[in-house]
Amino acid sequence: MTNPLPAATISTCDCAPGTPLYGEIIEFLYHEAELLDTYRYNDWIALFADDVRYVMPVRTTQFLTKGAGFHDVAFYDENLVSLRTRVQRLQTEFAWAETPPSRSRHFVSNVLVEPGERANEFAVRANFMITRTRADHGHQMFTGQRADILRRDEATGWKIAQRRILVDQTVITGTNLSVLF
Amino acid sequence: MSLPAPHPARPGDNQPNGFTLLANGEHLETIVRPQEGLISRRIFADPEVYRLEIDRIFGRSWFFVGHETEIPNPGDMVSRTCGIDPAILVRDDDGVVRVFLNSCRHRGMRVCRTDRENVRFLRCPYHGWSYRNNGELITVGAENHYGPGELEKDKLGLIPVAKLGSYRGLIFASWDEHAPPLDEWLGDMRWYLDIIFGRTGEIEVVGVPQIWEVECAWKFATDNFTDNFHVFWTHQSLVPLGLLPNFPDFAAHGHMVTAGNGHILHFVQGAPNDETFMGLGLEKALWQHFPHNLNPGQTDIAMRHAYSAGTVWPNFHWLQLTSSGDTASKPVGILNLRLELPLSPTRTRMYSWFAIDKAASPAYRKASYENYVRTFGPGGVFDQDDMENWEDCTAAAVGPAAKRYTLHHKMGINRKTATDWPGPGTCYPDSYGEMTQRAWYGEWLRWMTKPLNGSNTRAAS
Repeated sequence: MTNPLPAATISTCDCAPGTPLYGEIIEFLYHEAELLDTYRYNDWIALFADDVRYVMPVRTTQFLTKGAGFHDVAFYDENLVSLRTRVQRLQTEFAWAETPPSRSRHFVSNVLVEPGERANEFAVRANFMITRTRADHGHQMFTGQRADILRRDEATGWKIAQRRILVDQTVITGTNLSVLF
Repeated sequence: MSLPAPHPARPGDNQPNGFTLLANGEHLETIVRPQEGLISRRIFADPEVYRLEIDRIFGRSWFFVGHETEIPNPGDMVSRTCGIDPAILVRDDDGVVRVFLNSCRHRGMRVCRTDRENVRFLRCPYHGWSYRNNGELITVGAENHYGPGELEKDKLGLIPVAKLGSYRGLIFASWDEHAPPLDEWLGDMRWYLDIIFGRTGEIEVVGVPQIWEVECAWKFATDNFTDNFHVFWTHQSLVPLGLLPNFPDFAAHGHMVTAGNGHILHFVQGAPNDETFMGLGLEKALWQHFPHNLNPGQTDIAMRHAYSAGTVWPNFHWLQLTSSGDTASKPVGILNLRLELPLSPTRTRMYSWFAIDKAASPAYRKASYENYVRTFGPGGVFDQDDMENWEDCTAAAVGPAAKRYTLHHKMGINRKTATDWPGPGTCYPDSYGEMTQRAWYGEWLRWMTKPLNGSNTRAAS
């Protein structure tokens, strides 16, 4: 049931830090974060490939020898239609968990890029920290690593073809997951 | 010599009139009047009431601790709570299901330190006290330094719950040796648990629970589970998306049942003449199992309904729904198990398990799981709006002004009981009503006004 975290490697490809490709990917991730933090959900959903799988597995506490503690049961297990449903929901006037909206801030760091299985795909790992304040409540925080497959499409630009959200918390302490990752 | 002054009455004491005193002189019986539908806001977030709840309810009731399919093999173990005490749910080497306090007999250190294990032995990190998975103490650190009679190992096994039982795979436990037998405690509720957990033979819990914390009083969450008429309003975002009917009365066609001992439930019909909403939303191939596992009355109920929710008193629930979590999927049956664990007067830890009929096809299993994740739990497009309600209800229940007022639980207070319902308990027609909540608060009051030195069972009272 457990899925080990991806092995840490040093990138030696033409997507290493300092290369133009790496710069493009960083810019893409920053752009995506800003879209979420500024409620531009239609622009955000346009960043996903038609065949995207977006998963946030439930994590448990495990001994090191048993893996990272991720399970098949997830907090999110989405395709493009279900992600779009979430966005459409947020755009109704009745999605009370985000009406009025929370203020979120998506921080992305520690970005590592490797060539993917296909020529136009790259495996991108990045740490995330998402803060959320809601109404007069204090900050809530979600941290972890996102393991993405980014696809470079000549016609439409970069797309997220896969996202695994490897959250640090075994108990989500932030009320709900109405902010998107 | 004068007599000592009489001991002043303390909060929680029963007064000469039999009423239960709170620190400001109010009595629980006067601020909580379930039969009139008047429930004081004070009982939700008040630290004094919370402390009484911990002793009088969470120290004594039966509690759901897990499902047998979570620990199928000898040595399988999960970390849970029983009441609010940390507990280990384990199947020992002989296949016997056991529940222990997750705490060493020596200094009380936590002994099962992961969420899920398969182990033959548990060793306490503190001084090396080691236990077999049946709870027996085997060895301790520095054992040669104990003199004769200083270490009675056969009396120092892990602390077991006082009562343990299971029904239809659901494992319940109690810390109270005076708790009634599980079958007696569940009583008429078993007839309904058969429908939800026995309709096709067996159900299984899949994987691990989602766990999350909400800044809310636990009873606001508990109160919500058999509430049908919030669905259209709280979850109204799903109406324009076509995931809920654009019809405020859509969940009113059903029955609500109070099954005794505070256990409550409802069954609700879906769109008429639509097979999607028959047979509890299960795939059609599963319906043939109903008559082999249920009696005719139970089979009839399972066939005619699309939705059901129930609360095994105090804090365990099932949700059996026919829903889709995205605009492309057809509505499909989802079985969700839920538990609220109070952490403080204003904070609650939520548990949510996905379960499915063992006889389900792979395609139905996949569809049910995907729609569960998209619909329920902290990320669910239905569930997340409920948490907004629970938090804001809690925030507004803390202050002294709010505590002078009651909430309103009067819907259906004069409703006549149904005469055509095949099941046990007291049944009411029309699934919009607060009959179930009033029964739940009635049970709450019964437990809260029963002092600790008395047995809290119907049989004994």
